[in-house]
Amino acid sequence: MPNIKLQSSDNEVFAVDIEIAKCSVTIKTMLEDLGVDDEEEEVVPLPNVNSAILKKVIQWATYHKDDPPLPEDDENKEKRTDDISSWDADFLKVDQGTLFELILAANYLDIKGLLDVTCKTVANMIKGKTPDEIRKTFNIKNDFTAAEEDQVRKENEWCEEK
Amino acid sequence: MDIPTDVWGQLALEASQVYLTEGGQMRSPFANTTIEKLPDKVLLNIFSYLTHREICRMATVCKRWRMVAYDTRLWTHVSLRPEISGLHVGSLESLLALISIRFGPSLRYIELPIELITHNVLHELAAKCPNLTHMLLDFSTAMQLHDFSEMQAFPTKLRYLCICLSEVIFMEGFMRKIYNFINGLEILHLIGTYEKIEEEEEEIYEVINVHKLKSATPNLRVINLYGINFVDDSHIDAFSSNCIQLECLAVNYCNKVTGSTMKTLFQRSRRLTCLLMNGCSLHSDHVMQVEWEKSSIQELDVTATDLSTECLIDMLTRIPNLRFLSAGQINGFNDSVLKAWLESGTTRTLMALDVDASDNLSDEALHRFVSRLGVSLAGLALSGMPHITDQLWQTLMPLLHNTKILIMGTQERLGVNIHVDQLMDGIANSCPNLERLELRWDPENLRFSDKSQKAIDILRVKCLKLKCLVLSDGRYYEIVKANFERADRTTVVRTSTNCRVSNYYLLSNYKELIFN
Repeated sequence: MPNIKLQSSDNEVFAVDIEIAKCSVTIKTMLEDLGVDDEEEEVVPLPNVNSAILKKVIQWATYHKDDPPLPEDDENKEKRTDDISSWDADFLKVDQGTLFELILAANYLDIKGLLDVTCKTVANMIKGKTPDEIRKTFNIKNDFTAAEEDQVRKENEWCEEK
Repeated sequence: MDIPTDVWGQLALEASQVYLTEGGQMRSPFANTTIEKLPDKVLLNIFSYLTHREICRMATVCKRWRMVAYDTRLWTHVSLRPEISGLHVGSLESLLALISIRFGPSLRYIELPIELITHNVLHELAAKCPNLTHMLLDFSTAMQLHDFSEMQAFPTKLRYLCICLSEVIFMEGFMRKIYNFINGLEILHLIGTYEKIEEEEEEIYEVINVHKLKSATPNLRVINLYGINFVDDSHIDAFSSNCIQLECLAVNYCNKVTGSTMKTLFQRSRRLTCLLMNGCSLHSDHVMQVEWEKSSIQELDVTATDLSTECLIDMLTRIPNLRFLSAGQINGFNDSVLKAWLESGTTRTLMALDVDASDNLSDEALHRFVSRLGVSLAGLALSGMPHITDQLWQTLMPLLHNTKILIMGTQERLGVNIHVDQLMDGIANSCPNLERLELRWDPENLRFSDKSQKAIDILRVKCLKLKCLVLSDGRYYEIVKANFERADRTTVVRTSTNCRVSNYYLLSNYKELIFN
């Protein structure tokens, strides 16, 4: 299997099977645009991903290299979040910072499978919590004035149970 | 009182930043990457996994989250029927505001309960939601219809309309206002009150004028009239006279239908491939008059009708390309029907068969029939027959290599026990494509040993496409459920009170036939 070299933002170089690297649409497009031939040992710079995260992304992609392609249309996707495999669940047992870095990397590299499963994980962290608990969990500042807060609560009270 | 909140917030934040490494605890190198660093697009993706109720709650977290929560892309499919797990909108004013601010051009599908079906709401939907193509209007709990005399507009791009009828409310005041807007409809569902029917004889009102409705909807491809007590043969005739595109007609549980206009239906609707008449009062004579040999029919449901043996033979041997047959609960369906059908050679296209509770079919005849068709069958239901046990299934298994749906067993208590471990093992090794499986036997009749887990393991590992496994509630159900849960397949195993398996999943119009 031909390899490709990926360079992280902190200049660490990883040799990766080209097929595995291509699960990233960003890398795939880059290779197609550059028309890389197998002879050359090119290094693909990834200035938005540091080595610790890139290592994890490669680990994820290697494990999932034989997954069937995901359906294209998001139109009919199920809203389920209880279908995260146990391997993925273990893989994502990380601190929040790492989880968000993974999401940013999946987003930048355009790896749909990884983006979906990390987003589901965050959705599961949100489910069942009150807005106050959410702010605590994610350290979000409530930037509404008292009047605005009143307003936004009114705008959304129709959604609560009757 | 802000201080304690911040302290707790700070503690929670620090806890989230600590992670375990071999050397003990240390601060994450990414402690500064908070959820606020995620782009809106990603936050939108996260919100797309939340229910509308949760999305609304998240809108109150902070300004940015409010903006994302109000993104119309999260609001393409909206149900406002609180009884059917939808949202509850308390007032018409708030709904009107939502339509223009939150739903807007993204809205494709909406369900409205009677309280919210007013001319103002429909005007607003017509004006603000140009991409609305699917709509469900639930009048089933109506005591009185709103006044629609001032209604001027209605969504014009509808392809799908589902109307849940009430038994007593006449719809014409509403319907005559919408006839001009619905001629693009391709899929129509009219849902009757069959499920609520009570024992006592009540007066039946023809609450919707089918003869006028059909004139307004010439492009219908799929018509589903479900459990409507006044629908009879003249209504089928009306639709067939105007809907030249008709592919699929379902009149399940419309018990006034006798089939007297079926002959004309088939003469006019040359494209009709699917006809579902479960629980209709069909007369054999009417059914035999149909020119089956000239029809394009591929999918047929005549479950729980009184068709005679003669009629079944006549019909089945004349239909050239039948793919799907549901014909359970018919006394006339006996061995001679299967024999004549096989001999006629018209069974070669069959891929789904349901003969639930056909007590007059012998296990030998079924065995012979399935042996001949086996490999082409994608769905097989031989349920509700006490004499069909695991023994017959075990002999059939090797033939069912391509099957996706299997339904077996009867709720009746049996004198013999079912060796469920061996059966599961047989299914696992024979049916790699299995998607849905139901075992209806009483839990007391299921015999299993301490090796059960092994058989379930094999089923789980070999049938990777299995998404639904239904069992009667009991000890064996608990064992199977726990086994699948340990393997992260939590939603596969269900009880027969929550879920029923049917061959209907194999209908080509299945998705268009779903309502509610």
